[in-house]
Amino acid sequence: MPIFALQRSYKYMMYATKQPSLRINQADLKCKNGCGYYGNADWDGYCSKCYRNHMDQERQRKARQSHSDQTKVSGFSKFEEKKRQQTDKKNKYLKSLPVFRKTSSAKDSGRPERHLDLRQANPDADKLTAEFISLYGVWGEQVRRDFFKCVQSFTTKIYSELENKPIEDIAEMAQKYYNLYSNRVNNTETYQEVTTDVRDELLDFFEKYVMVSLYSWLFCPPSTNDEEKDLIIQERIRKLSWVNAHHLDCCISETSIEVRDLVYTAITHLLGMDSMKAPQDKLSCVVSCCQSVVKVLQHCQGGPVSADEFLPALIFIVLKANPARLKSNILYVTRFCNDSRLMQGEAGYYFTNLCCAVSFIENLTAESLNMPQQEFEAYMNGEITSVSAWESALVACEGMHQLCEHLSLLKDLSIRTNTVQDETKKLTDDILKFKEEMNEKVNSVLERTPLIIKPRKTPELSEKVDDTQNSQNFYLQNLQIATSNIDDAKTKLQLDITPCVSKTSPTDDHSLSKINYDIDFSDLSGESSLAELTPEKRKSPSFTPDPFSPVGSSCPITQAPLIPTKPDDFVLPFVETQETLLEKEDEGPNLPSPIKPMTAQYSGFSKQGWQIPSIPCITGELGANASQANSQTSQDKEN
Amino acid sequence: MANNTSGASHNFKVVLLGEGCVGKTSLVLRYVEDKFNTNHVTTVQASFLNKKLNIDGKRINLAIWDTAGQEKFHALGPIYYRSSNGAVLVYDITDEDSFQKVKSWVKELRKMLGADICLVIAGNKTDLEKNRNVSLEEAEAYAIKVGAIHFQTSAKLNKGVEEMFLVLTQKMLETVEEKEAQNAPLSRQNSQRRNVVVVDDDQVPPPPTRQCCSNS
Ligand SMILES: Nc1nc2c(ncn2[C@@H]2O[C@H](COP(=O)(O)OP(=O)(O)O)[C@@H](O)[C@H]2O)c(=O)[nH]1
Ligand SMILES: [Mg+2]
Repeated sequence: MPIFALQRSYKYMMYATKQPSLRINQADLKCKNGCGYYGNADWDGYCSKCYRNHMDQERQRKARQSHSDQTKVSGFSKFEEKKRQQTDKKNKYLKSLPVFRKTSSAKDSGRPERHLDLRQANPDADKLTAEFISLYGVWGEQVRRDFFKCVQSFTTKIYSELENKPIEDIAEMAQKYYNLYSNRVNNTETYQEVTTDVRDELLDFFEKYVMVSLYSWLFCPPSTNDEEKDLIIQERIRKLSWVNAHHLDCCISETSIEVRDLVYTAITHLLGMDSMKAPQDKLSCVVSCCQSVVKVLQHCQGGPVSADEFLPALIFIVLKANPARLKSNILYVTRFCNDSRLMQGEAGYYFTNLCCAVSFIENLTAESLNMPQQEFEAYMNGEITSVSAWESALVACEGMHQLCEHLSLLKDLSIRTNTVQDETKKLTDDILKFKEEMNEKVNSVLERTPLIIKPRKTPELSEKVDDTQNSQNFYLQNLQIATSNIDDAKTKLQLDITPCVSKTSPTDDHSLSKINYDIDFSDLSGESSLAELTPEKRKSPSFTPDPFSPVGSSCPITQAPLIPTKPDDFVLPFVETQETLLEKEDEGPNLPSPIKPMTAQYSGFSKQGWQIPSIPCITGELGANASQANSQTSQDKEN
Repeated sequence: MANNTSGASHNFKVVLLGEGCVGKTSLVLRYVEDKFNTNHVTTVQASFLNKKLNIDGKRINLAIWDTAGQEKFHALGPIYYRSSNGAVLVYDITDEDSFQKVKSWVKELRKMLGADICLVIAGNKTDLEKNRNVSLEEAEAYAIKVGAIHFQTSAKLNKGVEEMFLVLTQKMLETVEEKEAQNAPLSRQNSQRRNVVVVDDDQVPPPPTRQCCSNS
């Protein structure tokens, strides 16, 4: 049996080492009072019994002191003192309220037991209640009722003992209670149907629930000096801010961005510990932090990471993170995390390493950094300051980070700009090549097939027959064909010609109009009637040309209406600007229409004619287009 | 929580202690991965490894904790080995100093944990027999004196590694079962907690010897 007492005191021996010699000797282990029991650093070197006596005396002494002269207490200790007094006052006040007073049952030791409805007092607990129902509601009402019964009894019990017992005893109670509940879950009928996995989850959830409910009383309780310890370690880490990876013999590369990111991740996880409430959640933060540290080391050295490399790296991370309330968090987890989880498994290992790191930092000497004593002291006094890559990185952390991100962004952008430029150049070359090719082709085609207009016989004949037979009928027919052709031709021509610089099209106009003029007058009558219409009207599908239009029948047929009509119709954007110029150049080289009209296609020459010369027109268009594109790209480049 | 005393399964914590470079990491990697000094090791980290065993139908999970061997971390030992069931104390047979280091660990462990912890002393690197600097007789005699088991191992040649861990596990099993047998009538409610056992504060502190359990 007594072994366990010893072991138990070892559980709290984590920080039992002394400066500067880190070795533990027998004298260190004994109670300071010399009673022969084993002492403990957390109990100021006393054994638990002497510590309690000591604390009682202290408390009485302090109470007396605060009554006699409060001015003696100064600085932070004064603040602490005040805080304790306030809690005392608050508790007294709470006790005096009838709600919190409960007549003690015979079983209880006679002192009033405070009853507390924690669910009412804690919104986090509310959330957990909802979570419980959603997660484990399926296991039935009985499980739920039993769970909350146990939670209630646990919290009430702990709460009632809070003031009478030192925190370590409370921790023992909590551990005992975890085991009780574990027995209950594993052995009672209520939980019979629950699967083994869910049982383990339930135990974890139990721990989480009660700890979240009691967090404000159990974390850094005012009866302990946890908060002072926090401030001491924080101050010490601040003083050690000059320690770098090299001092610790750990191989964290200071320049790699990936490594730096991983270090930040590790630091973030470690800092996150303080914001968690349940011991298991705090523990998971430690695990995530340590996993990031392992990744860092893998990045820097490769191969499996052993403890020889891991511990120094973790120490480095703790030094750089300087987490808030570090000791309070560690002590809280040590006290209230279920031992079975804390003592084994990966989480246990990593948590132990964190404890090691903290202990190392507390006891760090010149010797442990392989550094002469004088240099160490100079660093500690701030006589020497060192700025390493890490320091600047971490000090200017955010700025550096953003800078790096922007640099990579810029790099990416410049790569993309280069590709765009290359592509543009290629496109320009292609266009030029295509233009030349096209010109060559067109020329060769033109050479091969010069336009020869042969007098048509058959179509003219048939038309003429029609014409003579029924002029009215013909007129109508011709118009109808013409309209449908307009629509066709328009869509085609607009697609093909619109961007065209109409160097060739007016020439076509010219030749066409000549043809028209020469060949078919009847056709033109239809054309001219159409020419009267506004383009908007013509676009509307409901429009049908009036066969009896006075314009169509009576207008003298001349070439005059043709010229404005056609460009207006089909090559709107260009004609207006270039027409006059082109008209002057009328006597310039005309492109003869290479296609001779065919009987089957024939229907009112003027419209059909528009379709035919679209081929030479395209060649011209392409050439113009290319030059235009060229000028555009050159403009782009200038931009 | 899986720490069930019904005999079905056990969790054992084993720490590796010893000077730097004696081969602690190599031993555990050889045992768990059967690899030595290669880049093909699948484990990301060799500082904490689990090994599942089955001895006489009992499922056993060994958690093997590597410790930082640098001298400056020696003082952290108590944090590492608290509540462990076993310790493997490694020395390099070509290095006399590393054996002295083992002796100091033994002293400390016996002082702190008494007979609660099972000790194994491993003389590693037996493939370097020709450079031996620690006499086998001396080491074995010492081991018997302090109640430890001595093994000769070579992580490089895979000699004695498996055997060492197996014997250690068997011994830990014995110790735990013995303890359970004594414990059960005393405090039933605590039987689930392996190492941290609640006792009254007024308990007499134990002499670091085996017969300690008889006085309660
Ligand atoms: N020849 C030989 N070398 C070994 C043996 N075990 C480990 N080593 C080498 O000893 C060095 C230190 O090993 P390591 O496992 O890192 O020791 P640790 O510091 O105690 O973890 C490495 O170079 C290993 O290759 C062994 O059994 N034989
Ligand atoms: Mg190692």
